Parts: sequence; C-alpha cells; structure tokens
Amino acid sequence: MTVNNRANILVVDDEMGIREACKRALVREGYAVDLAEDGNLGLQKIKETSHDLILMDLMMPGIGGLDLIKKTNDIDPEIIIVVITGYATIETAVEATKRGAYDYLPKPFTPEALTALVQRGLEKRELRLEAQRLHHEREQRLLELAGEKSRLRTIIGCMADGVLVTNLERQLVLWNTSAVKMLKLAGTDESGHPLNRYLKDASLIESMENILTSKDESVSMLSRELHIEDPKSVLMAALAPVRDEQGELLGAVTVLRDITKLKEIENIKSQFVSMVAHELRAPLAAVEGWLDIVISGEAGGDRTLERQWLERAKERSKSLLALINDLLEINKIEAGKVAQKMEPVPVAQVILKIADFLKPEADKRGISFAIRLPDGLPAVPADLQDMEKLFTNLISNAIKYNVDNGSITVSGGVDENYVGLHIQDTGIGIAKEDLPRIFEDFYRVENPQTRQISGTGLGLTIAKKIVDSHFGHIEVKTRPNHGSTFSVYLPYVRRKAAGVKAEP
Amino acid sequence: MEFKAKILLVDDDPDFLEMHKAVLKNHGFDVVTATNGREGLERVRAEMPDLIVLDLMMEKHDAGFSFTKQIKTDPLFKAIPVLMVTSVAEATGYRFSLQEDGYWMKTDDFLDKPVMPEVLVGRVEKLLAEKRG
Repeated sequence: MTVNNRANILVVDDEMGIREACKRALVREGYAVDLAEDGNLGLQKIKETSHDLILMDLMMPGIGGLDLIKKTNDIDPEIIIVVITGYATIETAVEATKRGAYDYLPKPFTPEALTALVQRGLEKRELRLEAQRLHHEREQRLLELAGEKSRLRTIIGCMADGVLVTNLERQLVLWNTSAVKMLKLAGTDESGHPLNRYLKDASLIESMENILTSKDESVSMLSRELHIEDPKSVLMAALAPVRDEQGELLGAVTVLRDITKLKEIENIKSQFVSMVAHELRAPLAAVEGWLDIVISGEAGGDRTLERQWLERAKERSKSLLALINDLLEINKIEAGKVAQKMEPVPVAQVILKIADFLKPEADKRGISFAIRLPDGLPAVPADLQDMEKLFTNLISNAIKYNVDNGSITVSGGVDENYVGLHIQDTGIGIAKEDLPRIFEDFYRVENPQTRQISGTGLGLTIAKKIVDSHFGHIEVKTRPNHGSTFSVYLPYVRRKAAGVKAEP
Repeated sequence: MEFKAKILLVDDDPDFLEMHKAVLKNHGFDVVTATNGREGLERVRAEMPDLIVLDLMMEKHDAGFSFTKQIKTDPLFKAIPVLMVTSVAEATGYRFSLQEDGYWMKTDDFLDKPVMPEVLVGRVEKLLAEKRG
C-alpha cells in the first residue's frame, strides 16, 4: 500500500465537532475516513477493518486513550496512532508516545496541521510495513533454507547407495547410513575429522586424494571397485569433484553402490561360458580327430575301418548338435515368458505322443511302457513345445538309464492345485552323492554303468527350468539299482463344474 | 622296429582312446588303455608302460594333475615320460605351458586336442628316444 492508495483513517473523539472537522479536512485530501465517538466503538472498528492511522482523543468516556493505544497496538502494532489532546502537556504526550503513539496534535489545530501530521504518519506507516515485509521475507527464507538442508539430509539418508562428501581439508562433512554400513565407518557421531579417522579403506582415500589434487578441470568422475572384507562385498565407488558456480573446487563426493550380487552373477556367467566352451570343444575335437586319422591314411586303405571311423565322427557331431540345441533351449527358457506361448495343454496326450515317439528306442533294449494316466486329467496352462521337451527329456532318461528289459511306468494324479505326473523307471538309480547335483548344468553321473550312455548333461537342467518357468516343481525318488521316479507337478486352473474333464 | 614300446593311454573320452590307440598301433606300438586315473595307476603298476599319454580333464578337473604327481613322485615310475594331451585350451580361459607350469605339472610334453596322427607319433617317438638317452 502506498500513501496515495487511499489510506484508511479512523477518528475516535467524543466531540462531534472535532470528528466532523477532521473528516472534512481528510476527505478533502482523498483519504477514507471512519468515525467513532468513544473508545469502545473505536476499538470495535479497529477490530473490524484494517486502518492505517488513528486519530484519538486521550480523554474520553469508557476506555481512555492510553488504554486504547495499548489495545490497538495489540491488534496491529504498525498502526500509526496520533493523539489529539486538549491537555497538551509534555507529560501526557510523553506518556502517550511511550505507550506506542506516533505523535500528538494539540487542540485546537488547523486543518493544515492535521493533514501535515497525517501525511507524515502515513509515510511512517509505509516504512513500518516495508520493514515488516522485509523481516517476514527473511524469516521465510531462513525457514526454507533450514527446510532445504534437512530435506537434503533426509533424502541422502534414505538412499540405498552410500554417499560421502569431503571438503578440501579432507574432512568428512556429509555421509549417510548406507555409507556407514558399506564401509564400516567408525565414529561418525562426531563430524569434521579427517577422513582416515573414519575410514580404513586406503584405496578409497587415495582415489579421493586423486580427485582433490587433480589440476585437470576436466576430471569429472573416477570410479573404482572396492573389495571389502567381512562381510565380503564388492562396492563400486564413483567419485566426483564438488565445484561451486565459478568452477572452484570445494571437495569430493563419493557414491557407493553394492555390486556384490552383480559380481556373483557375472562370475556364474563367465564360468558357464567357460564350461560351455569346453563342452563344445570336446566333441568337436573328437570329430576332427577322427577326420584327421581318416585323411592322413592311417587306415592304410582299409575302407571298412575308414567307414567305422567316419561313423564315429558322425556320432560325435550328432551329439554336438544335440548339445547346441539344448543350449539354445536353455537360452529360450531363460529369455523368459516372451518365447512361451501359454495355452491349455492336455499333458496326458503329450505324454502318450512322446512315449509313442520314443518306443522304437525302448524296444531296442526290450524296455516296456506302462502308461497309467487317469481319464480326465485337467489341461495345464503351458507352452506346448516346452511340455514336449520336458517329457521327452524325462522319458528319454528313463530309457537311457534303465536296464535291459526293464520297464517304464507313467502315472498321474491331481490335487487341489497341481497336476502330478510320475515317470518311474527300473534303472540304475542315482547315488546319494550325485542326487543333489543332477539338475546342475553339464552334470553327469560318471560311473561304469553310465559310461556308455550319451547325453549333453543339460537334459535335467532344461527339465527343471521348464517346470520352474511354469510355476511347478520337480521331485526325484531314487534307489541305486532299483530305479528312479521323476515327479513333475504343474499348476492348473480349476474349473467350476464338479468333476474333472479332459480338455481338447 | 624290433623293440615294441608299450604306451598307456589314459582318457575318459572313448573316442580319443580308440582313435589314439588305432594310430599308435598302426605305428607299431603296444597299447594299453584306461578310462580314469585310478584305473590308469593300476595299469602303470601292472604293465610298466614305456610312456603315458594322458588327458588332463578326467572325472574331476584336476585328475590329470594328481595322476602325474603320483607317477612323478614315485621312484619306480618317475622315469616314464608323460605326454599330456588336453582339450583345455586358451578359449576356455586356461593356458598351460611347459615353461610356466612344467615344474609343478611334472609332465614331459603337452599337446592340444585334436592331435594330428603324425604329430602324436612324432612326439611319442621323440620322448621315447630321450628316455633311452
């Protein structure tokens, strides 16, 4: 509000003549003027509307002027109070100003004296309001600043990544609990000490030193792996210089991320790759070896011998192809649901089809099939190709690891949530020490009984991955030299109608 | 060749066993075979071969190493040359050489699978000649 902005003036006086005279003079100057004939009425008006300046008589019935000054100040301390008094003694004026009045106007007064004083009072009012506004603004700014700081601390405190900030004096100035945990920082309840008092990892201190002493302004980040003992973990530390707006170096900030799990996965992956490479190389080297001895004429012109060797080469290249197909299969399953086409699969029919397909192989060794699947096994939501692969692997194992003239029994059942399928053989079984490892990549039971059995070492790996990807589970019961039973449990969707009915 | 040297082949891969056996027999060697380290040691004791051709990766991955160690620390057998044939190649992340690993490995020579027939025969003959001094 400015002075020209039609200031609001209240005149409180019990003499109507004074009130009216003031009003006339002030309205002429363009002010809005309110009148009150005693202190109580005046106080009420002050409460009701905001006024810039009050002209008041000190001697009134009801509330006296001095009392009114105090009460007005309570409502708005910045209101300019001008005292009008017939007893214009120094004492009353001093008393009034002590209580918060701005100035006084002795009666009788001229309209010019009144307007001059009112003008001055309003200017003062303006100054006071401005000061108040500035003060308020500053308070607000400080409040925001404090809020900002605590907000920053709260956010950093909640971060899963560790954060450390050091200043140029290598003192630790900001950190969070994640950093404390990751680096086992000691004594962080006291801040401002040199970094090496909290931190034991020399390589991190050294990296921070590199950041802080680098003359090169283009150094914007440095990252390194930290290997922490006890508990063993691997951290990725990203360090960056902290610069002000002018590019002046202020310190260094370090962000730490726990990459232990990632490292483990990386290790497993590279182990797998190395294992795969070896598994691929062995059959290929054998193929090459057989071809070498044929080409170099080791058979000495014996065509039958040469043919035998070539057939051996063919066998191994076939096994290599099977291995590559299995690897692609694993890759497909691990690529996730994208490749899976979920549809209701009648597993009983799938098993019958596979058994039929593998029958010639079983017949060669006199192995008989007994398929005892109950009517009305519900269909399971599954990928048809996956189901075919799953039961091919399990039934083909039941043949391969069976004894001559043995048998294979396939049975099934259903409970509230799962369709269970059991493939039982009368084969060599699995030794206790091998059992925990049979689902591992490339793991093959090696003993005289299995020496002649070919396989990629991935059949059960694939079976398990397929079952897992269908939210089912696979179990094995086995007794060496008596046989094994592989049971697969696949979840199915229950129909509302009572009694199960096979779906097409 | 009047003297018919006896070679022991130890390899868990039946293809290499047969292939190397065919080649060596073809070149006038007497060949005995074993498919694992335990059987190999039995053969060494029973047959006292003149040379051993050994695949590194039998059963457990260090089976080849421990087999050689047993042969080379036994005063009765330590003179028998051991030719290590391996499919553990650079591609799988391992590399062995006589210079770097020879001392601990205690084998006499290395070859990568597959081995060309003439290379196998050449190495075997060379090692046997060295043994005879």
